[in-house]
Amino acid sequence: MGAEATYSAQKRSSTILPQTTAAAANGAARGHLPKGRQADRTFNNIKITILCGFVTILVLRGTIGLNNLVSFEAEAESQYLIEETRRIVAAIRSDDDPLDSDSDSDSNSDASEKTPNSNSSSILGPKITNWDEDKKLWRRRNPQFPYYINGRPKTYLVTGSPPRPCENAIGDHYLLKFLKNKIDYCRIHGIEIVYNMAHLDKEMAGSWSKLPLMRRLMVAHPEAEWIWWMDSDALFTDMVFEIPFHRYRGSNLVIHGYPDMLFKEKSWIALNTGSFLLRNCQWSLELLDAWARMGPSGRIREEAGKVLTSNLKGRPAFEADDQSALIYLLVSEQERWMKMVSIESSYFLHGFWEGLVDRYEEMMEKYRPGFGDERWPFVTHFVGCRTCAAARCLRSMERAYNFADNQVLNLYGFRHRGLVSPNIKRIRNESITPLVNVDKFGIRNSLRGRRG
Amino acid sequence: MIGRLLGPRRARQLQRFVRNGKLTILCLFLTVIMFRGYLGAGRFGTPEKDLDDIRETLSYIRRRAEPRRVLEEALMAAQGELKSAENAAAGSNNYTDFDISKIFRDEDDGVEEFRRDPSQPYSLGPKISNWDEQRAEWLERNPKFPNFSGRINKPRVLLVTGSSPKPCENPVGDHYLLKSIKNKIDYCRLHGIEIFYNMALLDAEMSGFWAKLPLIRKLLLSHPEVEFLWWMDSDAMFTDMAFELPWERYKDVNLVMHGWDEMIYDQRNWIGLNTGSFLLRNSQWSLDILDTWAPMGPKGKVREEAGKVLTRELKDRPVFEADDQSAMVYILASQKEKWADKVYLESAYYLHGYWGILVDRYEEMIESYHPGYGDHRWPLVTHFVGCKPCGKFGDYPVERCLKQMDRAFHFGDNQILQMYGFIHNSLGSRKVRRIRNETSNPLAVRDELGLLHPAFKAVKV
Repeated sequence: MGAEATYSAQKRSSTILPQTTAAAANGAARGHLPKGRQADRTFNNIKITILCGFVTILVLRGTIGLNNLVSFEAEAESQYLIEETRRIVAAIRSDDDPLDSDSDSDSNSDASEKTPNSNSSSILGPKITNWDEDKKLWRRRNPQFPYYINGRPKTYLVTGSPPRPCENAIGDHYLLKFLKNKIDYCRIHGIEIVYNMAHLDKEMAGSWSKLPLMRRLMVAHPEAEWIWWMDSDALFTDMVFEIPFHRYRGSNLVIHGYPDMLFKEKSWIALNTGSFLLRNCQWSLELLDAWARMGPSGRIREEAGKVLTSNLKGRPAFEADDQSALIYLLVSEQERWMKMVSIESSYFLHGFWEGLVDRYEEMMEKYRPGFGDERWPFVTHFVGCRTCAAARCLRSMERAYNFADNQVLNLYGFRHRGLVSPNIKRIRNESITPLVNVDKFGIRNSLRGRRG
Repeated sequence: MIGRLLGPRRARQLQRFVRNGKLTILCLFLTVIMFRGYLGAGRFGTPEKDLDDIRETLSYIRRRAEPRRVLEEALMAAQGELKSAENAAAGSNNYTDFDISKIFRDEDDGVEEFRRDPSQPYSLGPKISNWDEQRAEWLERNPKFPNFSGRINKPRVLLVTGSSPKPCENPVGDHYLLKSIKNKIDYCRLHGIEIFYNMALLDAEMSGFWAKLPLIRKLLLSHPEVEFLWWMDSDAMFTDMAFELPWERYKDVNLVMHGWDEMIYDQRNWIGLNTGSFLLRNSQWSLDILDTWAPMGPKGKVREEAGKVLTRELKDRPVFEADDQSAMVYILASQKEKWADKVYLESAYYLHGYWGILVDRYEEMIESYHPGYGDHRWPLVTHFVGCKPCGKFGDYPVERCLKQMDRAFHFGDNQILQMYGFIHNSLGSRKVRRIRNETSNPLAVRDELGLLHPAFKAVKV
């Protein structure tokens, strides 16, 4: 009985603790914990709270960003700056200028001069009748401004763009790249560039502005033998090809087109006035005068547009443009003009981009620069790019630009990393005798050798 | 219930296990997030970006008084608005919200690439020691490419400028680059100078303002017919179209920069000369000075350390990485005996003219003087230092910079337009008006400045 008693006593004692803890647990449930335990528990809770809080902040920062959690004043500040900047950029892009004198009075005085049916004046100014003789006399008196250099006639390449920034910033970037491309070609071939950014004639605005500009350059530079108009959206893609001037000794206008489309079909795209050459002579001045008749903006241009649409194949209805007007003029006054016009299609004086830009890789593989035709186009002209899809247009322009730039960089031993990359890579090591490469790769040097 | 199932001890063990488990999972989650942050997880995931953000926010508050402009946010905000409104389909005709960087891509076309050996110390190229002889021999063999360009006593000059091949971050930056190159085209056409517009980064190590060094060397070696190379920054404009450089004065020197001798050799002032517009002769001497100039340029630690040296050695130079101008000052000041006799620091006319002191005086100049002076009366070059029209941030307020660039452009353009009988309505206006009527006898009329057929463009007969 004693052993049982001790056992039960032991048992009792061994059950004391659990009972105590159970009692303790029960006690906690009833809110009567000993202090130590309570502190422990609180401490644990705090630890977990802090941990969870930390995690929450990390996750929030991952999704929202620190700025938005911190700054309110900076927000307002940057809003103000954004507004300011937008205002400045919009002001630059807009046309009106509070400092400008009233433009109405200007155009009134202009209009009185431009009576198209007068004998002594045309749209472009007073009629010049003696230009060939005057020019010859001037040239004889001024041999220090030669009109033939190294066997090539002095040529002025004229291009331009409106004076205000493009509606989209990327437009200005491509104007810049295309101008660089023209600078490169003209440097290699000794051609002067004139880049026009002024509206010289309010009446002849838009694509007609090239007419008064060309006339002005002709009469101001009698030493210029040819004036070459080129659109700002046209690119030189053959840096080696030279205009075969010897072919045009008997012509005054060289333009890309197809005689069949012109005379048989009377198509409105039979010729392209995005890239053409006009000799500096009396005939050209008269052509410009006759051409300009359809140009003056307003009623004259509207009416002319209707005439052109009804007479030319495929032309949609819109106001007269310079290209349709020239086609109509050459077709309707054939006998007067056509014998001095060279319609050129043996090389791409103007090359419509759609059929060309995708074939550059094939061209690089099979051919080399210098052909100027469908094997290696002389000019790639991005006509109508404004209406096409942005991605396709910009990609094609980038490809064409890099295709051309590779030919310029070749002399320096570099090349673009692919046709859509602005980055370049070195394809020839630097040498201690660099002139060997100059003789081998310089375009000008090889051309001069040929020309003699 | 679990307690009844498993027994009290087991139940407690399970509870403890679950509690531990919760803690473990929480800690694991935390670790994953921290790793994600350090290894990079996009724009907002990195602690560095956080530090940058904090720094920027604090500095915003500090900089509030200064007139800085943030064009990037304007562009982003504008783009954001448009993106939400526009259809983002690939066939979209909209250029405005088109991200050009989607097009740019490096491709391998199979042509072998040559790389500089990175283990070697930086050099612009293998050392050439007999360039003068090589060049003289080439010129003799090629008489059709004279280095004195057939003009009367005038060397053949190549003007070199350039900009980045990527679109400007500023929405009107490219427009001002276009105007700037047109301005240079006009001056160079009048003066018979050729232009090279660079849009290629020849050497990734020599980036930023140092990019001109490898380019200049490459052009000197590739164009032996060029006698003088004229480097000009893209933010500099010609404002005197009639001024012809005094080539005679430079017949015995190889490097012409705008600056003052005392400021370089005595004071070692970091703005004692300007490398935004300078002439460099095509000669062995020039190759040597380019080789001496280049070592401070390579991006990274070299440039940083060199910057510290320059700040220490030069007067008034703030702390930033080495730039080509300070490096040139340092070279000339510390190696005077070697170089100074062939360097001409020109201050008689504005080969470089700081815009801040010039642009407000244009009307006064028009009234009192005429083109052809090239100096303070009618500056040859107005250089928009610090304006950075292509970038996001400049050192000056955007409105003043752009407005003044327009004025300078029109100031120079007036001299071109007057050849053809026109002038801008005012220096701030894009519009032009006629100052000379059309005539039926155009050759009887000469332009006032005589720029149509100037003497400096005449060839030797």
